[in-house]
Amino acid sequence: MKISLDWISDFVALPNLAPEEIGKTFTHHTAEVEGVEDQAAAYDKMVIGKILSVSKHPGADRLNLAQTDIGGKTVQIVCGGQNLFEGMLVPVGLPGSWANVHGGDRMQLAEIKIRGEDSFGMICAGEEIGLAPDNAVGSKTDVRIHNLTHTKAKPGTPLAKALGKEGAVMEVDNKSLTHRSDLWGHYGIARELAAIYGKNLAPLDSFTKIPATKGKAKVHVDIQDAVLCPRFSSAIMTGIKIEESPQWMKARLQAAGMNAHNNIVDITNYVMLELGQPMHAYDRAVLGSDILRVRFAKKGEKLVTLDETEQALTPEDPLICSGKDEAVGLAGVKGGLKSGISTATTEVILECAAFDAVLVRKASMRHALRTDASQRFEKSLDPTLTEVALKRAIHLILQLCPGAKLEGPVDTVGTWKPKKVVLKITPENICSKIGISIPTPKIIALLKSLEFEVQKTGKSLTVTVPSHRSTRDVLIPEDLVEEVARLYGYNNIPALLPEKVLELPKENVERGLEHNTRAILSASLGFTEVMNYSFYGKDRLEKCGLDEKDHLKVLNYLSLDQSHMRTTLTPNMLANIAANARERAVIKIFELGHTYKEVGEFMPLEEKRLTAAVAENGEAFYAAKGALEVFLKEFHVSNYELKPSAKILPYSHPKKSADLIVKGKTVGVLFTVHPGVLRAFDIPQDVAMFSVDFAKLISLGRELTRFQALAKFPALPFDISILVDRKKTVAEMETAIRSTDSNGLIESVKLFDIYEGKNIPEGQKSLSFNVTLRHPDRTLTDAEFQALYSSVGTALAAAGGTIRGL
Amino acid sequence: MHDSLGELQKEAVAALEKAASLAALKEVEKNFLGKGGKVTGLLKGLKDLPDEEKKSFGKAVNDLKVALEGLYQSRSQILEREEIDRTLENDWIDLTAPGTQHETGHIHPLSETQEEVERIFQQMGFTIVDGPEVESEFYNFEGLNIPSYHPARDMQDTFFIDKAPHPTEGKMVLRTHTSPAGQVRALMQHGAPLRVICPGRCFRNEATDASHEHTFNQVEGLLIDEGISLAHLKGVMLEFLKRLFKRDLKVRFRPGYFPFVEPGLELDMSCPFCDQKGCRVCKHSGWIEFMGCGMTHPHVLKTAGIDSEKYQGWAFGFGLTRLVMMRYAIDDIRHLQNGDLRFNEQF
Repeated sequence: MKISLDWISDFVALPNLAPEEIGKTFTHHTAEVEGVEDQAAAYDKMVIGKILSVSKHPGADRLNLAQTDIGGKTVQIVCGGQNLFEGMLVPVGLPGSWANVHGGDRMQLAEIKIRGEDSFGMICAGEEIGLAPDNAVGSKTDVRIHNLTHTKAKPGTPLAKALGKEGAVMEVDNKSLTHRSDLWGHYGIARELAAIYGKNLAPLDSFTKIPATKGKAKVHVDIQDAVLCPRFSSAIMTGIKIEESPQWMKARLQAAGMNAHNNIVDITNYVMLELGQPMHAYDRAVLGSDILRVRFAKKGEKLVTLDETEQALTPEDPLICSGKDEAVGLAGVKGGLKSGISTATTEVILECAAFDAVLVRKASMRHALRTDASQRFEKSLDPTLTEVALKRAIHLILQLCPGAKLEGPVDTVGTWKPKKVVLKITPENICSKIGISIPTPKIIALLKSLEFEVQKTGKSLTVTVPSHRSTRDVLIPEDLVEEVARLYGYNNIPALLPEKVLELPKENVERGLEHNTRAILSASLGFTEVMNYSFYGKDRLEKCGLDEKDHLKVLNYLSLDQSHMRTTLTPNMLANIAANARERAVIKIFELGHTYKEVGEFMPLEEKRLTAAVAENGEAFYAAKGALEVFLKEFHVSNYELKPSAKILPYSHPKKSADLIVKGKTVGVLFTVHPGVLRAFDIPQDVAMFSVDFAKLISLGRELTRFQALAKFPALPFDISILVDRKKTVAEMETAIRSTDSNGLIESVKLFDIYEGKNIPEGQKSLSFNVTLRHPDRTLTDAEFQALYSSVGTALAAAGGTIRGL
Repeated sequence: MHDSLGELQKEAVAALEKAASLAALKEVEKNFLGKGGKVTGLLKGLKDLPDEEKKSFGKAVNDLKVALEGLYQSRSQILEREEIDRTLENDWIDLTAPGTQHETGHIHPLSETQEEVERIFQQMGFTIVDGPEVESEFYNFEGLNIPSYHPARDMQDTFFIDKAPHPTEGKMVLRTHTSPAGQVRALMQHGAPLRVICPGRCFRNEATDASHEHTFNQVEGLLIDEGISLAHLKGVMLEFLKRLFKRDLKVRFRPGYFPFVEPGLELDMSCPFCDQKGCRVCKHSGWIEFMGCGMTHPHVLKTAGIDSEKYQGWAFGFGLTRLVMMRYAIDDIRHLQNGDLRFNEQF
């Protein structure tokens, strides 16, 4: 919202500070000022000039020489304006000022010669200096310049002053005013500034003074829903002449970001910008009767609003209707086109009402009409304003339209009664929450400066909230803490550390282990962490063979590839691999994130999963298996098994899938991705993954390593290679080797090579083991070694292996 | 015999001094002092000498042996030094050739910073809590004093799940902030006194560009105890930021509005990137808007069944994603979650 400091100064004498300073102070005490703009800066070195005489330029047909009084000095200015006349007041850009010459780029003006004639600056057209344009874009013929004769300003008057564009404008962040309905007008802002700077706020009386009237004319207001409209003030005025508003009013409207239309419409807007209360003026003749009805719309009813769009209405839409029960406005949102003010209007009905915040907000959202009015009503305006604002409007109409006449009294109807919000609080409580000791008289003074009534009884304060703060903003004692704290100044609060905790914080083991997991996978195993969205689309879900009905669907998803909540981390990680596959042959990534499964209850099953993937050319399964094994070892999970999967995941290779079982419970899965899925994702490499239910693994797994005594006697290792049927497993062969060891002499059996292909008979494979023997208490004898060595050979042969040359 | 011993000594000393390499020296040592060496031979012959000679000659041979061993040791040291010097002189390495590549993985910058944040708050006595990312409207809004008609719901563009609403919990939503877990659920579960932080993923239904993401991470904080004030909030945040940025910083409060706190505040920190001299990050203002915060609203305490007469405190929420972008000078928020490993591998 734009706030003109010039307008503010109608109500409070601001201290003599730079506008930026005032903006900063407002930010620190009330609401965020996003910027402060000095309106006059754009009109630097521009003055009102009076044309004394006009003559043709001797060297150019379309140019004139204008002798111009710029205040105590007459200068010659070359000007192409075809509308120049003697006595005309014009904007003159003196040398050194800046203008968009002929509507083009900004240029600094200078004292120059144009075709041999001196020209002292430039006489400007509106579009050249940010005023209403005088010429169409690109138009070169019949050039017109800006006529300011109506300002009746003296030659030499600074242009900004003549235009009423002197003050600075503060842009206040609307979001930071969400809870402050009282700050949606200049008067409310002035009230804050008065409190902040300890100045007096001018009472509204003199601004709302209207003459007594003998007239009896009244609008008959029929409120059919008291919740929708608790209060409605109205008045009838005649003798209206629709004209342009005076420059000062136009300037203020523009400063606040509104365009000027005509005196009546401008006044209703002016009052809204000043007091925060929206209002509306109807053409009494078009309305046809002095009756206004407030009701909800009927099904199928329609209304063409002022922006010339037809609104299809619903029974939740609040309406203002004429005596013929025709809709003439969407209450609190926008007026109807038909009954609006036109140049022919001579009599007006003024409406100034209170509407329910929620109903207005919903209507405004339903029709996508976020108007200045709806924006204010939805903040819960103070209903006392209806009468005050109406009087202010009448005051202004009488001031601007000398012929205007009030036909009857300001009439207010509605069920609304002023309610008093009275809060009790102790200064001690206030100070304990702010964290600083503020003397009680100071607290009282601060509250009073914001028009709170304060009574001290014993240790406690009884505070009556002013009506403009009691609609929604200040309703509980805590709200008073804020008032005191912000006015006293948040910068005065010291920084303190809370007392030491007597009870130590509970440790979040799971969270600590998440970081541990990341360290193992990245530093030890060379995996890179990715973070993907929690969604994927139907396309990706189908590529992985997942069932849509296991998924939560996002109702208002942003794009088709983000419509379903992930039930597994795999699909998005496969997309990561596909996206990076061109740049690298080997990809190792992991993700630790939530999955969400529809399980037929209200809340989904939300799990924290760890998934890691290896993509490489050739068989990737063992790379993933090795990574899982190292991860489990480093993570202190030793008592696990990998067994052929009980259930094959839809995106898994049916033969290459094993369940990770810890203490009899399945906590994860190790698998190669189905070749069909890889093709669907356009991944050239083989991809294997492991995925673990993280919380479950932690709850079952972890054991500390137990120290094993270091061997004192030397080991005797030997290697043995065999040929076996390719479908024999390593585990079978290892079991055969170990079966020979009745004395516990085999310390370890490690497979170090597995090979099929060249030099190996079809259907067979070569397995090479390294076997280490060791006696715990002495050195093994050669005889013992030979005996075990030969029985390993026999056992392997019995298991179907043929010993290869060593 | 003693004369011949003198000859032998001369011969041995000359040979030891003449030896030009460690190998040659070793050979000389073997010839005189080795098993079949000449000096060893004399020692072996001692047993055949008469007793009176045995003693004096024996001593002379032994002296010779000790002297030669000493000479051998010192020559050996000199030659060894010469050999090393020669090696050093001849050795050369191409310092510009690359080191052996040791493959490591990379932790995501969000995780890295989150861990630091968690560590600092743990040092200050905070517990870390977690919560669901799919929430009900009750926990995401009502429990936080944001009723359905509240305009603040405009500020939160919410993702809804396509599912019939729950009679008391309302519709299912993707949480728009970490407040439901870090405030409502934490208070309901643990009661007061309580000091927790809750880092986590949040969602807002807004279009994505270089500085906007529909998925981002926040850190919620909550401290409820007796006599807790805004001064403590200032103190804790100042300490946190100093430890995180490892430099002296300033913080300041401004009024702000969040329905679940009263008073509501914004906290700015002095720019740690330019020490308030003015830079791109702080838009030359010297201050960075860091977070929203305030004294926990009695409605929130009441929802969780906390006695708001006895306990009071504050809550805050800051954007972890934004913090990470500032810290690492990341100019496009989309890099964080699009899985282009050229990004992830930088951290």
